[in-house]
Amino acid sequence: MAFTLRSVKVPPNSASLEEARSRVFDFFKAACRSIPAIMDIYNLDDVVTKSQLRSTIASEIRKNSHVTNPKVIDLLLFKGMEELGNIVEHAKQRHHIIGQYVLGRQGLVQDLDTKDEGMSDFLKNFYKSNYF
Amino acid sequence: MAMRAFVLRHIQLPGQTLTATGSKPHPQWYLRASLRLFSSHDDHLTKEEVIDRVLDVVKSFPKVDPSKVTPDVHFQKDLGLDSLDNVEIVMGLEEEFKLEIPDKEADRIDSCNLAIEYIYNHPMAG
Repeated sequence: MAFTLRSVKVPPNSASLEEARSRVFDFFKAACRSIPAIMDIYNLDDVVTKSQLRSTIASEIRKNSHVTNPKVIDLLLFKGMEELGNIVEHAKQRHHIIGQYVLGRQGLVQDLDTKDEGMSDFLKNFYKSNYF
Repeated sequence: MAMRAFVLRHIQLPGQTLTATGSKPHPQWYLRASLRLFSSHDDHLTKEEVIDRVLDVVKSFPKVDPSKVTPDVHFQKDLGLDSLDNVEIVMGLEEEFKLEIPDKEADRIDSCNLAIEYIYNHPMAG
């Protein structure tokens, strides 16, 4: 796999929000088109379907949809391209992909035993994340 | 190609071949049953098949209410999706029909009608 397969296609400056927007869609399409290769590399066929992966990628993009500064969008795209490149050139491993993109937050939390049932909401939020 | 088909359809072999006396003559053979067309012009998808598969892709999209999906529904206006969902549906269609839709065309597709029309007219749609 060439390391430059996903070289930076995002030049540092998007002139306007519209241009940044079309770059986001191009990135999304490139990611979707490499999904079959990803499923093949990491043997994800019995864990997740292609449309689930597409939805996951779309929701990751949507998390940053509130951004309005084109330069910030460029930076996020750069990081996205880097991540996609890493995944496609097998620099990651199966458990990375499964943990980051297949299981949601719920999948990584430990199962609640009977002794944890009386746990307060504060503790639940604390276990979930740093900020609440 | 059509000429060949026409000729093959109308050839009839003679009933009696080299048979010895007393044996029954062979029945007349019609080559229609063994006609094989070597052109691939006839294996385009039918319109109903295209419509069914497109609607299946749209219905199985998690944010879409399957009961609202009709062949002329608009993704953003009728189904309440946004532009990213639109791109995602187009990518789903690309996967289903094994196509690669160029950007200019993909930007145009924002309703079931246009999707069905584009796929039906695409020569490589599988």
